[in-house]
Amino acid sequence: MLSTRERVGLRVQEAVAQGLILLSYYALAAWMRSRGYRIPRLRHTRRAFGALMGPERGPWLICANHLTLIDSLVIQWAMAPGWRLFLRRDRFAWNLPDRHNISRTWWLRLLGYVGKCVPVLREGPPEEARRTLDKVAFLLSRGQAVVVFPEGGRSRIGRVDPDRVMYGVGRMLQDVPAARVLCVYARGAGQAGYTDYPRPGEQFFIRAARVEPATELAGMRGARDLARQIVAKLTAMEAEYFEDPLVDR
Amino acid sequence: MDSATAFGKVVEIIKPFVKNTAAFGEAGHGTRIIEDLGVNSARLVDIILAFEDEFGIQVDDESADRVRTLGDAVQMILQKTAPAN
Repeated sequence: MLSTRERVGLRVQEAVAQGLILLSYYALAAWMRSRGYRIPRLRHTRRAFGALMGPERGPWLICANHLTLIDSLVIQWAMAPGWRLFLRRDRFAWNLPDRHNISRTWWLRLLGYVGKCVPVLREGPPEEARRTLDKVAFLLSRGQAVVVFPEGGRSRIGRVDPDRVMYGVGRMLQDVPAARVLCVYARGAGQAGYTDYPRPGEQFFIRAARVEPATELAGMRGARDLARQIVAKLTAMEAEYFEDPLVDR
Repeated sequence: MDSATAFGKVVEIIKPFVKNTAAFGEAGHGTRIIEDLGVNSARLVDIILAFEDEFGIQVDDESADRVRTLGDAVQMILQKTAPAN
């Protein structure tokens, strides 16, 4: 269970982040454009996200593949323009970055705070993992969206790696069964393996799909079953990407 | 079940997940599963579920969290398979 202090801390962070969303969003979008990053047919992509998510409120668990440090930024950029996130705070998603990555400099910590990041300690003790799960459950129970990378970190093989799958995403769904799941496959055209940042001038392929994982199993077996269903969907989306002759790779 | 039998079964279950095979060859009760054997932490759940299947036990989250070494695993299994008084 989260302490009152932790709950209040997350609410304050949410309020601050929401208050600064226009500034932070467009500053980051400008930075991405300055590096030449582009999402072809961005308007179409955003419409597709809008159609998948519909008008209803969260909670949303956005499960994505993971290849670069800015994947969640790219996904958020693809999901909606800043002004829409200003109006729909439930669509401005929380992120769970590695504490080591987000704590490198003071400005990264600041960006992480206003970017609704909850730093997590990878490979940390079980108590730490439980606290993260409690925080996610709290955020989801407030109708928020959370971006999760089921692989736990950037894939070392450049593809969705079922061997690395953490079952935490299944636990999140068990904790908040009302959460809806959106699988997102995002990949730069020149992204062969994992990197810190996409290459300059990168164009991103982004597809999303709703899934409704379900299981009759309980406990850890249930969490594993749910997580495997989500990763199976991401794997299938990746196969579509590599088999699609129309995709510019 | 005695400790040596449990240890042997634990080692067999963990074997497919081990990356540090050199350390595995010298594994003892104090060997740490993640740090020493290089087992991916994500696979600990699979290992715990394999214990449940092999030994016919139920492992709750708290017990699972306490398993850090091979000895911890053996201890937990012996406790859960011990006949009730």
